[in-house]
Amino acid sequence: MEDASLPSYDPKGDANETKIKIICLGDSAVGKSKLVERFLMDGYQPQQLSTYALTLFKHKTQVGDQEVHVDFWDTAGQERFKSMHPSYYHQAHACILVFDVTRKVTYKNLPSWFTELRHYRPEIPCLCAANKIDVDYSITKKSFNFAKKHKMPFYFVSASDGTNVVKCFRDAIKAALAYKSNSTDFMDEIMKELDNMTLDGDSISSSGFDATEQEEDKESAAKS
Amino acid sequence: MSESIILKKCGVRFTPPALIVTYTNDVGKLHRRTMPLRNFNKNSGVSRIVQEMKENKRHEKYLRHMSPLQLEKLIMILHDRLNGISLDECVMRNKGLDTVDPEEDLNKLDDVTLKRKKEIMDATFEKNRKKREDPDFKYDVEVDFEQGAIESCEWDSDKESDEEF
Repeated sequence: MEDASLPSYDPKGDANETKIKIICLGDSAVGKSKLVERFLMDGYQPQQLSTYALTLFKHKTQVGDQEVHVDFWDTAGQERFKSMHPSYYHQAHACILVFDVTRKVTYKNLPSWFTELRHYRPEIPCLCAANKIDVDYSITKKSFNFAKKHKMPFYFVSASDGTNVVKCFRDAIKAALAYKSNSTDFMDEIMKELDNMTLDGDSISSSGFDATEQEEDKESAAKS
Repeated sequence: MSESIILKKCGVRFTPPALIVTYTNDVGKLHRRTMPLRNFNKNSGVSRIVQEMKENKRHEKYLRHMSPLQLEKLIMILHDRLNGISLDECVMRNKGLDTVDPEEDLNKLDDVTLKRKKEIMDATFEKNRKKREDPDFKYDVEVDFEQGAIESCEWDSDKESDEEF
């Protein structure tokens, strides 16, 4: 169903280790890669998948007693076609939607990115990052309706001076984990069912998260 | 040779195509160097030529003092001129490439032009950048912008605004 050389983010997982996929979306030159690089500082090993026009940044972190392997997916030019290959969205657990506060057109293109995202991933958490606020801080006095309208958590960030980058990415990881532990996307449900058929009943209990706690996480991520 | 040189001026020659730089060497003596662009014609790709010049062992010690943007600019001018564009127009086009128009959709640009726009934006990025080595560097910088009078961004109230915003 998917190409063998792209990683898989199997819905099941053992209790203390889990794998999540977070995608970055937005126009050319809004600073998607720069944001990921700022969050990871030197602790990253980017993996170029040039045939797919994408870059994978692998990151390991601890959330509570969970070891979490996060793959950040970043575009490598594919965004110029105003559309991403479906494999980019496949199995994603959260999305960071980025625009550049110095270039209006990048804001105006958000709806088309968001529509495409929702076509493939109707329910994953989506966070909105307004990047490059270091160019003119007065922009932070303004409100941007798009994020509000779609009830997305909104962050004024700067990959350059670091403002709110870590907060935004940590919230994205939390939201992705919460989503993974009680995903309701139809396709994921089907995938789980398929797994059920080939495995024995006992080994497919969900990832061992406490569902209530995760729900709270999801809420707090959405509020911030 | 590891002499330290300081570039003074750079320019181009159209026939035959060449890059020309003047520089002073470690004892302050002024020199001029002409770097012919062999096999350069109107169909040559700008980024390929830029790459070839950067990698050329004989030119490397001069060109590494030139900003990549400048090098690209000069080669772009040569390229445009060979394609029959007037000198004035070449220069104008280049000026346009040096600024980022906030209304311009960069998704629609070719690779070379997009790369140049990114280089311009990178300059701002580097200028405001807090590096790990900086004494006041902090990994997690949290700023709450929620307080204070918030006005809605004029980008939301355009005529062109549709249902989506």
